[in-house]
Amino acid sequence: MGAVRQKPGVLVIGLDGLPFTLARQLIAGGYAPALARLAAEGRLQQMDSVVPTVSAVAWTSFLTGVQPGKHGLYGFVFRNPAGYDIEVCSTRVIRRKLLPELVSDAGRTAFSMNVPVTSPPRPVNGIMIGCFLSPDLEKAAWPAEEAAYLRSVGYRIDTDAALARRSTAGMLEDVRRTTERRVTAALHYLAARPWDYFHVHIMETDRLNHFLLGRALAGGGFAADFFDCCRYIDGQVARLLDAVAEDTPLLVVSDHGFEPIRQEAQLGRWLVERGWTVLGGGPVRSPLDFDPSRTRAYALIPGRIYVNLRGREPGGIVAPEEYEAVREAVTRDLLDLRDAAAGAPVIRRVLRREEFLWPAGRLGPCPDMPLRDRLFGDPVYALAPDLVAEPCPGYDLKMGLAKQALFEKTELEGMHTRDDAMLLVRGMAAPAGRASILDCAPMILGRLGIAAADMDGGAEGAA
Amino acid sequence: MDRLDELESKSIYIIREAYAQCRKLALLWSIGKDSSTLLWLARKAFLGQLPFPVLHIDTGRKFRAMIEFRDARAREFGLRLIVARNDEALAGAEPGKPLAGGGKLDCCTALKTQALQQAIARHGLKALLLGIRRDEHGIRAKERYFSPRDENFQWNYKNQPPELWDQYRSRSEEGSHMRIHPLLHWSELDIWRYVRRENIPTVPLYFARNGKRYRSIGCECCCAPIDSAADTLDAVIRELETTTTSERAGRAQDKENAYTMQKLRALGYM
Repeated sequence: MGAVRQKPGVLVIGLDGLPFTLARQLIAGGYAPALARLAAEGRLQQMDSVVPTVSAVAWTSFLTGVQPGKHGLYGFVFRNPAGYDIEVCSTRVIRRKLLPELVSDAGRTAFSMNVPVTSPPRPVNGIMIGCFLSPDLEKAAWPAEEAAYLRSVGYRIDTDAALARRSTAGMLEDVRRTTERRVTAALHYLAARPWDYFHVHIMETDRLNHFLLGRALAGGGFAADFFDCCRYIDGQVARLLDAVAEDTPLLVVSDHGFEPIRQEAQLGRWLVERGWTVLGGGPVRSPLDFDPSRTRAYALIPGRIYVNLRGREPGGIVAPEEYEAVREAVTRDLLDLRDAAAGAPVIRRVLRREEFLWPAGRLGPCPDMPLRDRLFGDPVYALAPDLVAEPCPGYDLKMGLAKQALFEKTELEGMHTRDDAMLLVRGMAAPAGRASILDCAPMILGRLGIAAADMDGGAEGAA
Repeated sequence: MDRLDELESKSIYIIREAYAQCRKLALLWSIGKDSSTLLWLARKAFLGQLPFPVLHIDTGRKFRAMIEFRDARAREFGLRLIVARNDEALAGAEPGKPLAGGGKLDCCTALKTQALQQAIARHGLKALLLGIRRDEHGIRAKERYFSPRDENFQWNYKNQPPELWDQYRSRSEEGSHMRIHPLLHWSELDIWRYVRRENIPTVPLYFARNGKRYRSIGCECCCAPIDSAADTLDAVIRELETTTTSERAGRAQDKENAYTMQKLRALGYM
């Protein structure tokens, strides 16, 4: 006797950092029968992510439907505006309501599990289980009482990706176990009651790509283990599909693409070499552990450059009237960075903040406005990078303020790409043209008959 | 009875109840203002002579002033003082700095949690008196006066009866130990007002020198002073009556933040 199938209003399955090109490769190689079936029933397409291209920013844009300049999150870490301490991002920093909240506000039910950045979880009409940044189950769950159930089934907030440094086999096993437990818990909630919005996030695809992508794409014996693990994750997707009615509207989404790392490039060190960042002389304990009284610009991951601006940074030394000149000079120095061993440039282009953060539409230039308003007008922009460096293929831009060498190769094998995210839509209208991650929230809300006010993505599409 | 009398009376009742239920008891003394107040109350509860030991977890990174204070009070009060250290983790470690090779969370785990686990096992302890307060941190608001921990120090906050009419579940199950929190109902200001009333000795780091003072103390490498001119007890109390910043603001990184930083570092985001 078959189990009763649920039919949520919209089902979202997040496959973090699964590139569109890899998804197609998995389907072609027979490693992803569940995705293959969905792609045949719906539409699989390549999708653009946001700048800066990192999960914290991209999923927040997914959840809010707006550019980073509106939701206010620009990376996993940021400078505490009161000084030069590093803070970790959280929902406390996000300036917009998240999809599950918007669904709740409309009187509908929402479930969300493990989506970055939903820690600490916000109250919703339903359940929100926070992302991998949650310190423990009690703090991950809203309502907190759900922690007891999660603990009882061995739910894990995150896989231990650092295992990859000690044992690849151990990491692959951990990825399998964590994903299986998460899907088991999700199925419990799926069966518990009807849902209007049900989002399960699988972070493990991102971890696999970060630590194993290079070797996987190089082929050989190891590649088989990688692809087997991908097949296992596809099997977990199949479990979710088996639990819902066949005509359930759904999205399978990734937030960015991946490509193999050739070298990690230490932008922080490059800014030190060029005299923009000046170290204090003591041990460097954080990416912001420089001498503010002599530093004119500094870097944070990924490729974010900040001007140490007087009146904005508490120890800022660059006068607002020098701001543009400093940005231009830093841009020139960034474009100068070359990998001498390979004879290759490292930075493809440098975007100014108004080119990617501005709320008016997709990646368009910002309207002209006085410098002072742009820099100081809204605290959201005060935390935004002044420049973002986009790397040439294979150069992963790190901070590395205290690194001895500009380039290094570590155990990390994969880096994010902006234009190779994946969107698979079934049972609802897919974006007609080139898709953007910003389109997802209005699409989902549109399907649920909820107005999507003031979002940057378009809901209009064609099946 | 004024407010401080009520606070004191309830705490002393809990301390006596704890000892009545469990003789394998120790008082965990971090040498900060809260556990020093707890020590004062425990001495009052037993008329000056503590019938159980005082346990201090020495991370080797405490302020020198704290260690001097500890040793002077131990002599003055005739305490049975147990100093516990995780010697294995400390072997070869650079003095005065967080342990190398991991984040601050790893350091706290090795030098505090594991050292405490070792001491509990070595001395056969079944219950600990701690000076935590509900107003310190969100998670502590969920605590009970009698709070069991399993062998892995896990706390199941769902499995806690309400503590109405001074009825406490004061017995723990096999394999676990009981944590008893006699100061749970005190606020930071209550502590300082009581310190003033009773003239309880405290570490001088709490009082301003050159425009800075510590509002919360622990390991020297992980504490930062706050800007303050409060150089006397009265001035500290006046400052706290109007402050809007949190007590632990001077702790450079709380454990939670340290946890997430460590996570991001492992993933190459730091």
